[in-house]
Amino acid sequence: MSAPLPLRGEAVVRENRCEGGANHRLRVALEGWPGAAPGHFVMLSPGARGAAPRFDPLLPRPMAVYRSFPGATPEIEVLYKVTGRGTQLIAEARAGDVLRIVGPLGVPFALPSPGARSLLVGGGTGIASLYELAAQARARGPVLVLLGARSAGDLMGRDDFAALGVDLRIATEDGSAGHTGRVTELLEAALDEAGPAAGDVVYACGPTPMMRRAAEIAAARGRACQVSLENRMACGFGVCLGCAVPRADGTIALVCRDGPVFGADAVGWAGVP
Amino acid sequence: MSGAAVDTAVNLGGIALRNPVLTASGTFGYGSEFAPFFDLAAIGGIVAKSLTLEPRQGNLPPRIAETAAGMLNAIGLENVGVDAFVAEKLPKLAPGVIVVASVFETEIDRYAEVCKRLSDVPQVKGLEINASCPHVKSGGIEFGQRAEVLAQLVRATRRATPLPLLVKLSPNVTDIREMARVCEAEGADALSLINTLQALDVDLATRRPVLRNGLGGLSGPAIRPVALRMVWQASQAVKIPICGIGGIMTAEDAVKFLICGATAVQVGTASYLNPMAALEVAQGMEAWARERGIARLADLVGSLQPPA
Repeated sequence: MSAPLPLRGEAVVRENRCEGGANHRLRVALEGWPGAAPGHFVMLSPGARGAAPRFDPLLPRPMAVYRSFPGATPEIEVLYKVTGRGTQLIAEARAGDVLRIVGPLGVPFALPSPGARSLLVGGGTGIASLYELAAQARARGPVLVLLGARSAGDLMGRDDFAALGVDLRIATEDGSAGHTGRVTELLEAALDEAGPAAGDVVYACGPTPMMRRAAEIAAARGRACQVSLENRMACGFGVCLGCAVPRADGTIALVCRDGPVFGADAVGWAGVP
Repeated sequence: MSGAAVDTAVNLGGIALRNPVLTASGTFGYGSEFAPFFDLAAIGGIVAKSLTLEPRQGNLPPRIAETAAGMLNAIGLENVGVDAFVAEKLPKLAPGVIVVASVFETEIDRYAEVCKRLSDVPQVKGLEINASCPHVKSGGIEFGQRAEVLAQLVRATRRATPLPLLVKLSPNVTDIREMARVCEAEGADALSLINTLQALDVDLATRRPVLRNGLGGLSGPAIRPVALRMVWQASQAVKIPICGIGGIMTAEDAVKFLICGATAVQVGTASYLNPMAALEVAQGMEAWARERGIARLADLVGSLQPPA
């Protein structure tokens, strides 16, 4: 399948609700949406489009496509946390409001080979990048989803993953749900209990220290690892050059154009914000 | 409401443009990144990312930060180099796209060499000299911040190319009129202004600058009134045409630049949040004039009235 061309469109809000704490879920309808692969993202304007244009805050926010709903008028869902003025304005959008959107963007995850086991490690809003991957990898082999958060109330999308019927394990730093500790400890345990399986693929998306640790754990056990990096970006399609990160070989990559998904061994971790 | 057709054509220092809207260097890649969004031949032209003799990798992150109605950047002039631009990037553009190449270097003779290499390339219709780089031999001060250094730069690049020569001025000067006059006297065909305003923002948690580079350039609607003022002042000081740049988000913004003396405009930061911004500005300017019965966009240029 060739990559779908991104569009700039008007997304009509179908549903936008708080799911406890800072966690929010937005569902929009998008005329002409070409579909997305697991790991694709969109740039979402900070707030509903009013009668007069608003340019403060100025820049759209990169958001993973959490779930896709094809149809006559396709719909997509994003999960986000309200962390500042831009996401607060998105949270204030009501059903029927219009949000400007550009997407789908980026290089998606490479799906596992048939029969291979997938181990998905998510933390924070990074969890949102993994749902469609879990749904599609499930058709190819066993899928283990490991989700981490500070506390049970911070977890995003837990029920959706559970409904997929995949093996779902939780870690919270305060012990309010699942394993007490870090989600990467669950990854170590899962890889060690199963013994060597060369086809295993580890997929990680979340805070940089989490992804870096997941990459180390996978590398130490000879498993392939793909990570989906987050970064500040102004455009999302390779022209502002704001989302640069160093590669392991010292050259510069753009998270939006060369990623967000990278092979973990290609990333120059020391320079990733 | 519809009126008679509007003549949108303008001439920017010898470059014939079908309408007055170009894209600003550094905000539009090499053009082909925008091909999924609109036909680049529908705007006046594109000013490509600044080119150096050799490829440059740019700065380490963080390179950008959002500010009130604007953003800071310190990209570090990452680019593919002039030869790769000609060999790999230009052929991706349709023949009807007007291309202005932006030239940047750290020494005057290197600027001139980049100009030479672009002068025989058929699709390059003009050169824009980015004079905002710190000049190593002048102790790091920008070429565009000292009149005598700017004069040397324009003289050398003027000699290096027969193409229409635009000079992009830094706003980080005491008197923009002096810099404009220097460029005109040395043979520049047009001026582009303004480049970004030198700026700083602070991360309160770490008390460090938000950018890895420390200082950055401020762009976006926050700088538009500063840009309008400088375009107006420069237009009063020289006879060569001016390409107005600075926080243009809408057609109305662009019309204001024409009224303040700009012959054409460049859309920059707006293309990040809306990849179709330049097209929408071009179409919107035409509609604005048509609704008011203005026959030629060029008639708006320099029509600023005195304060009431």
